[in-house]
Amino acid sequence: MATTYPKCSPTEMLGLLVLLNDHKGAEDVALLADDLDLEIDEIFPALEYAELLQFVKVTDGRATFTDLGRKLVAASIRERKTFVREQLKKTPLFRTILRALDANPEHRLTEEEFGHIISFTTAKADGAEQNIVNWGRYADLFRYDADTHMICPARRSTYAKGGGGRSPPSSALAGGAAPPKEPAGSGEAPRGPGNATATA
Amino acid sequence: MAIIRVDHVDKSFPTRHGSISIMQDITFEVKDADFLAIVGPSGCGKSTLLRLIQGLDRPTAGSIAFRDQRVDGVAKGMAMVFQNFALFPWLTVSENVAFGLEALGWEPERIASHVERYVNVTGLEGFEEAYPREISGGMRQRVGLARALAVEPAVLLMDEPFSALDALTAEGLREEVLQLWRDPNLPPEAVVLVTHNIEEAIQLADRVVVLSRRPGHVLAEVPVALPRPRDRKSAPFYDLTDRVYSLITEGGAPTAPPLGGGASSAG
Repeated sequence: MATTYPKCSPTEMLGLLVLLNDHKGAEDVALLADDLDLEIDEIFPALEYAELLQFVKVTDGRATFTDLGRKLVAASIRERKTFVREQLKKTPLFRTILRALDANPEHRLTEEEFGHIISFTTAKADGAEQNIVNWGRYADLFRYDADTHMICPARRSTYAKGGGGRSPPSSALAGGAAPPKEPAGSGEAPRGPGNATATA
Repeated sequence: MAIIRVDHVDKSFPTRHGSISIMQDITFEVKDADFLAIVGPSGCGKSTLLRLIQGLDRPTAGSIAFRDQRVDGVAKGMAMVFQNFALFPWLTVSENVAFGLEALGWEPERIASHVERYVNVTGLEGFEEAYPREISGGMRQRVGLARALAVEPAVLLMDEPFSALDALTAEGLREEVLQLWRDPNLPPEAVVLVTHNIEEAIQLADRVVVLSRRPGHVLAEVPVALPRPRDRKSAPFYDLTDRVYSLITEGGAPTAPPLGGGASSAG
């Protein structure tokens, strides 16, 4: 495991998995890159993170799907998040963030605290925080409020699974066009018992 | 059965030195459940054609019909995805998706349920409160997609939707657009994709309309009967790509002077 934090976006990693699927699930890494007219190092961040999350195995310069990776590409756009979520929760970085979020009495982290936590588990580069936030958002592990600069627990538990008639507590929307959006206040109420991101 | 019928469409723009013809005598149909790609060199009027189809602009001659109704003014039932996402930076992801629905005067509850649904199906759940500047290009284009789908259009118009993205992100999103289009429970029925990327057109579309250089006219309509997912390295794929390349490079000899009016060494 060469890296502990993602250096690609979620969509980039998913793109790599789709690409590998186009190649029937196993391909020389150089040929994968070549297919998109890329250099190997351009697909490396995505490949590395896909390997860290155990969606692919790379041996002797050849990438192969794991069972999990194969399941992920066969899944719908929405179901794919679940696969990513479960794998991210196993990484030291995201485990640490979730634990901190849970341990904090107010269940939120300032940007400073967040940066501090990240630096515990990884040697971070510029832009690392933003990217980590977006992986957390993608996997619905936590939220980031750009107005208050706070990391907050995900609101996943409040959404109806099927996306049916139930409307979310996104009061920001219902208010119509004029008022910008309400700050963190609306985030607190709907949280169920315990912690939305906690063990399933 | 055709959803869209483009019938002998000409488009020209007036300039101080007379009018410039952008496209001439364009005729094709978009059928139910079609994934149609329009390819051609830059300047052939591909994007203008999409604008004409949506009713944002009018043809100089000929006509466009959507479900047998002549398109006259912005047509309902169509929505556009743009190359550069065209998101409002001061609105969150959810608010960007809601924006078009608010403009249509929908009830807040209906807006909220549509926003939730299309945020979810495009994989944006968790990004509701994010601002465009905070998220990657791939996520931004998902917002563009969610915003277009939220009006539940019969036809999704896509103007170079993957060209501003890095190659892996584009690869991922192309597959997701196919997934959405093939889901019978989701809009749209048909997709019209404008692209300069011939491989992309053949990877995605059922049919490819090949336009010439300006003034654009239809060189050919190439059916793509390969099963999906399509292997870009396969012989049939390669043959089709080659055919479209040849059509554009050979068939599209320029009949108009260069736009800048500069000296041309081509003679």
